[in-house]
Amino acid sequence: MKCRVCRGPAVVDVRRHNANFCEEHFLKLCRDQVEKAIHDHRMLEPGDRVLVAVSGGKDSLALWDILLQLGYETDGLYLGLGIGDYSSESGRFATGFAKERGLNLEEVDISSEYGFDIPGGSRAARRAPCSACGLTKRHLFDEAATRGSYDALATGHNLDDEAAVLLGNVLRWEHEYLGRQRPVLPAGDGFPKKIKPLVRLGEREMAAYCVLRGIDYMVEECPMAEGNRHLAYKEALNGIEDRSPGTKHSFYFGFQERTSVLFAGAGDSAGRPTRCDRCGAPGNSAVCAFCRLMERAGGRLPAAPEPVPVELGATRSNGQGSATT
Amino acid sequence: MDGPMAVSALLSKLEIPRDTVLVIRDGTLVPGDAMLGPDDHIEIRPVISGGRS
Repeated sequence: MKCRVCRGPAVVDVRRHNANFCEEHFLKLCRDQVEKAIHDHRMLEPGDRVLVAVSGGKDSLALWDILLQLGYETDGLYLGLGIGDYSSESGRFATGFAKERGLNLEEVDISSEYGFDIPGGSRAARRAPCSACGLTKRHLFDEAATRGSYDALATGHNLDDEAAVLLGNVLRWEHEYLGRQRPVLPAGDGFPKKIKPLVRLGEREMAAYCVLRGIDYMVEECPMAEGNRHLAYKEALNGIEDRSPGTKHSFYFGFQERTSVLFAGAGDSAGRPTRCDRCGAPGNSAVCAFCRLMERAGGRLPAAPEPVPVELGATRSNGQGSATT
Repeated sequence: MDGPMAVSALLSKLEIPRDTVLVIRDGTLVPGDAMLGPDDHIEIRPVISGGRS
């Protein structure tokens, strides 16, 4: 196999592009695809501050790496979800990535800070684990992005993820979810802007990117995701893609370009936006879904920080008013 | 393997769709047409992740 660009020895094939690439040009392809997604969907402006949702897996670490190469100011946020060894291992990859590169990674352990974990929370709330996990992640990532005044929250959803979600939404005609299935959701009603810069790249490409860049990531899948519907949709699409490369891309981007307009507005918040009585998060119910889940699981919100005592001293005049020293 | 075999042939024999894995030999990606020898140690690494929300 020869690289499509330089005719040197190829290391990876991308069947939907009917092309092979050497290391240098494959890495460039990945960066170019992210740059194109950011540009085409107006995800970011030069100089924007971005919070990257980091799981320790291939997608989020590759995303962080590419955004840094593209010159964006980024910080990471990792959530410890309390899923046994899986959480501790994935946390190790996230912190290792940040430490090696001198990056700022905020870590939130939901067991110690909110008094519950995903296995317990999903049982108590009688929700599927992936549902409880997704709800928790969305809430805490939104909260952190808003608190930190970031211009956008970036997640590592790739083309395979988005095509599988789209298939699930179409099969059930989930028109509200279809209305929100866009590569970028603008900020509004107290929510941060959310972007998915990897939508033009498949998960095999992201794994290859990490191997070639020497990025260590969590290869094992979350034990709680085993057998979930999302994986079944991925398997179905992979079977079709195997026979007809490019199907996932056509499916997802065909929807975005030609059909998503039919669902525009369907996923926007209904009713008057309000604030959660417990945590103050935006929404349209008195108690937000995260606080309901947390309370059913016996958790609690972190205590508000203790007021810091201010030591008053003598005042001195600076000619422009007064200040304490 | 009884003898040299291409990566793509090995994956077909194992009934593994090519787009769902990477093949890695000595820390290096191995493309589909690369030949593998009987003494090669390779990793067939799955790339599919689930639990997306």
